[in-house]
Amino acid sequence: MSKTYNYIGFYSVLRRELQRFWKIKRQTIFGPVLETYLYISVFGAALGSRIQHLEGHAYINFIIPGLLLMAMAMNSFSNNASSLLQQKMQHAIDDQLASPVSNTALLTAFTLGGFIRAAIITIVSFATAALLIDLPVAHPILFIVSLAMCGLFFASLGVLIGLRSQVFDNLSFYQTFIIQPLIFLGGIFYSTSLLSEPFRTLTHLDPIFYMINTVRYGMLGSSDVNPWTSLLAIGVVTAALISVNLFLFRKGYRLRS
Amino acid sequence: MVRQSKNALEVKGLHKRYDGGVEALKGIDLTIKEGSFFGLLGPNGAGKSTLIHSIMGLVVPTKGTAAVFGHDVVTDYQAARAYAGLAPQEPNLDWFLTVEETLDFHGGYYGMRKAKRKERIDELLEVFSLTDKRNSRAMMLSGGMKRRAILARALMHKPKLLILDEPTAGVDVELRLELWQYIKRINKEGTSILLTTHYIEEAEQLCDSIALINHGKIIHQGTSVELKKQYKKKTLEDVYLSLVGREELTREQAV
Repeated sequence: MSKTYNYIGFYSVLRRELQRFWKIKRQTIFGPVLETYLYISVFGAALGSRIQHLEGHAYINFIIPGLLLMAMAMNSFSNNASSLLQQKMQHAIDDQLASPVSNTALLTAFTLGGFIRAAIITIVSFATAALLIDLPVAHPILFIVSLAMCGLFFASLGVLIGLRSQVFDNLSFYQTFIIQPLIFLGGIFYSTSLLSEPFRTLTHLDPIFYMINTVRYGMLGSSDVNPWTSLLAIGVVTAALISVNLFLFRKGYRLRS
Repeated sequence: MVRQSKNALEVKGLHKRYDGGVEALKGIDLTIKEGSFFGLLGPNGAGKSTLIHSIMGLVVPTKGTAAVFGHDVVTDYQAARAYAGLAPQEPNLDWFLTVEETLDFHGGYYGMRKAKRKERIDELLEVFSLTDKRNSRAMMLSGGMKRRAILARALMHKPKLLILDEPTAGVDVELRLELWQYIKRINKEGTSILLTTHYIEEAEQLCDSIALINHGKIIHQGTSVELKKQYKKKTLEDVYLSLVGREELTREQAV
């Protein structure tokens, strides 16, 4: 084998990851799009009509950034965690681990699989919402970069949890008892200015609060936090997480005995 | 510059201690010459699969080295793995992929282009009588068909060192004969083979060199004739039983 980079190997692992969710797209794409759309319809259009404005924005516009972030986060996380765990349990991953595809390429392909799925869901959800409502995008680049950065963070977190987990119950624990509550309590549906103490301070300890508000700033032009500091913090944490995953892949943590 | 070696596999002082403390390999030294049909015999739990998995990167050795055609399996793992192909003992197919997809992705991991993959898939499906199962998902295949698919997958990228871990355990006579016919042919064409099997007659008929492994150590290595002569036994099975300390099970004793 020549010393040239094995592009086909990397592309094949990525193609396999994409095919995995695309084959069952009713469950992996259309379901989450419908879920986001229902949130927008019920909380935004139906209940939102009773709430005039929040932080100077129509309620439906206020909640959409958080709902898009939630779609990005939950889908990139669950896709990667369950894909890795399922392949580990079947030992089907051994075929990739015993191949000449490098550890870095394997990690990149596994991370991108969930990221791409979540990006498709988020883009389709945004486009569908835009058909119904007049959606402002105050800072388009910040809006896209912050959503992408958060997606990459959760895609990497999904890889880490997929590596750590040995049964599906482990995944459900992280998803149901940690990530989902942090997302819901991070201020998707309300502004922290409406909260009394100690809930306001507690919300500021939730890292997802900063993610939601950064995406909200990108879309609405205002938020509860400094978007640039938040974006930098998200970038640093994501880079650290990717480094940890790379270290674990090279070590063969719970992949190679 | 790629360093070429005349040895398909060179293992030196290989140790493996698992996290739980079990020492599966206790200093394995093994050389398989290029073009050889090499048999590795040993009882269950002797360390055969750990050794094979160490070569393929599925197990990380604690100490020692292993090299495939001169490429270290740890420091130069990509090149080492490109030369080797493994048909594992336990079927590890992805349940949701079809037979064709399984082979196609595998070829892709090894850098094969689409046209080459398609050509090779058609050839292997024919060889292993899987053509009509091309679009069947792995989970729908019978045990024998899964075994065929695993063998086809191991051969997909035309490895120079083919590792067969108990390939005929629980398969019908038809597949066994088809498999050996094909493997003997590719061995003659230059592919080196490392075979582990519990069927000692099979190893005796096929292998030009045999190693006996027990408790994580190679007990002896040589040809079948050499082993029988050295241990003054009539059959390789008797040599094997003697070396693993179960002489009471020899056919002579049984009668």
